[in-house]
Amino acid sequence: MLSKLGRTALGTLDEFLYAMGFFARVLKESALFFRRRKVGFKVLVLQILFTGIDALGITAIMALSIGAAIIIIGSSLLTEFGQGKFMYSILIVVITKELGPLLTAFVIIARSGTAIATELGGMAVDHEIEAYVAVGVDPVAYLAAPRFLGVVISNMALDLYFNIFGLMGSFAVVQLVRPIAFDEYFRNLFAILQPWDILSGVGKGFVFGVIISVVSLYRGFAVERSVTEVPVAGIKAVGSSFILCILADIIMTAAQYLR
Amino acid sequence: MESTPELEIRGLSSVRGGYETLRDVSLELARGETLFCMGNAGSGKSTLLKTAAGICVPAGGEVLFRGTQLSHMDKREEEAFRKASGFAFQDAALWANQSIYENLALPIRLHESGWSESEVERAARKATELVGWEGNMRERPAELSLGERKLVGIARALVLDPELLFMDEPTWGLDEASAARMSEILRGLKTRGRSIIVSSAASDLVSNCADTVAVLINGVLVAHGTYSAAVAWDEGRLRAVTGRLKPRETVPEWATGLAGEWAEAIAADATPPKDLEGGEEGQRRERGKK
Repeated sequence: MLSKLGRTALGTLDEFLYAMGFFARVLKESALFFRRRKVGFKVLVLQILFTGIDALGITAIMALSIGAAIIIIGSSLLTEFGQGKFMYSILIVVITKELGPLLTAFVIIARSGTAIATELGGMAVDHEIEAYVAVGVDPVAYLAAPRFLGVVISNMALDLYFNIFGLMGSFAVVQLVRPIAFDEYFRNLFAILQPWDILSGVGKGFVFGVIISVVSLYRGFAVERSVTEVPVAGIKAVGSSFILCILADIIMTAAQYLR
Repeated sequence: MESTPELEIRGLSSVRGGYETLRDVSLELARGETLFCMGNAGSGKSTLLKTAAGICVPAGGEVLFRGTQLSHMDKREEEAFRKASGFAFQDAALWANQSIYENLALPIRLHESGWSESEVERAARKATELVGWEGNMRERPAELSLGERKLVGIARALVLDPELLFMDEPTWGLDEASAARMSEILRGLKTRGRSIIVSSAASDLVSNCADTVAVLINGVLVAHGTYSAAVAWDEGRLRAVTGRLKPRETVPEWATGLAGEWAEAIAADATPPKDLEGGEEGQRRERGKK
């Protein structure tokens, strides 16, 4: 029993250290990416296109819906208690710092995290990664670094996009349900909105992007022999990314509010 | 002084999925030698090739290319090794999200950065012509048949005209004509002094091309010797693998550096062809005789 526990603990530690080593290699290769011959540049562009551009629609719908919901609830509920001015504070906190980055991360996990893990897993099963090694292409530099950069850049950009739609676009939606004066809304909003609100949200986007891309890459590369490992890799990438993003969000939020 | 082998495998072991797939395998491949690894399915032939090519990481032992350990190579040495070697995978392993042309062009762009696009295209066409594939280079691998993919995979391995070639079951999945062509290609490469290590269970190919034969059983190297020695092996478990190898017809010594149709013609009438283009060794020997 004890020896089994010990073996499990050692196995977990071994995997953790391997994952940390992989993370360090991805960081190193990503830092050197733009100085290299542009073999992986197309991969980066395609990753940004898929993770960032293709996700604009769903991100916009979520941001508009949540922003509009907060405005509607805030303008009706809070005003009953004479606290209508807090609606803008809540809107900013939810959209820029809390729900916005997390929901954007969830969209990226669902779309790109699974795609990266299953694509790389499929390549591993078909020996395509071995073929890259055989011709002298470093799979981490060529396959991992551009995907890592693509997901991180896209996540941060989508956070900004979420902010724009959540704070401004939702105003337009609310006009259909509960009209608010344009100058009143934006005057109150910009009086409370600080650059730090935006920056902290984008900072969270950076951290979530790092987590999602590294976890998905790691799970994809971990596939070895069988095609049945590929969907498992996708599921594990989603599960691990969700948990790690939520944990990271709790830590970052605590660091902001418990100072 | 003994010359350094092209490839030296020392005490190579490999573990995959908790199972030992190779155990303490030691082999040497001299320059210009064609070594065939034979064995039943699951005997470790592909693992040996991939580990020897530095694609898979061994659990133990070492591989030396021209005297330098693969695991100790710096970036430049590794680039030189990759440029000098080619690997043809059993299942082709073409990059599915790239066109056939891109599959062939990537190794060239990587190792011959000074080449113009027309030079890259010419080299890619030459490689496909060599293997006898005449399809549309803009197609994706998924649009090709298994045999076509296999030919393109071999063309990709040959596109930089490597000095050391690893071929994993080169005739697997090929029709008879393509398999015969593969035999011709291998003999042509031998003529040009290329060192080749092949895993194959196809006795015709081994009979036509092997200089030496190694037999693997359950990841253990159980026999290694010249082709003629392999034909004579009479131990039961070796006969099970090499039993269909046929003794070769005697070819005059001066013709052993030639290949393909020439070697057959020479074996038939023992008259050296007048035009010995490409057969430098034969020319030298012929001059020596005169």
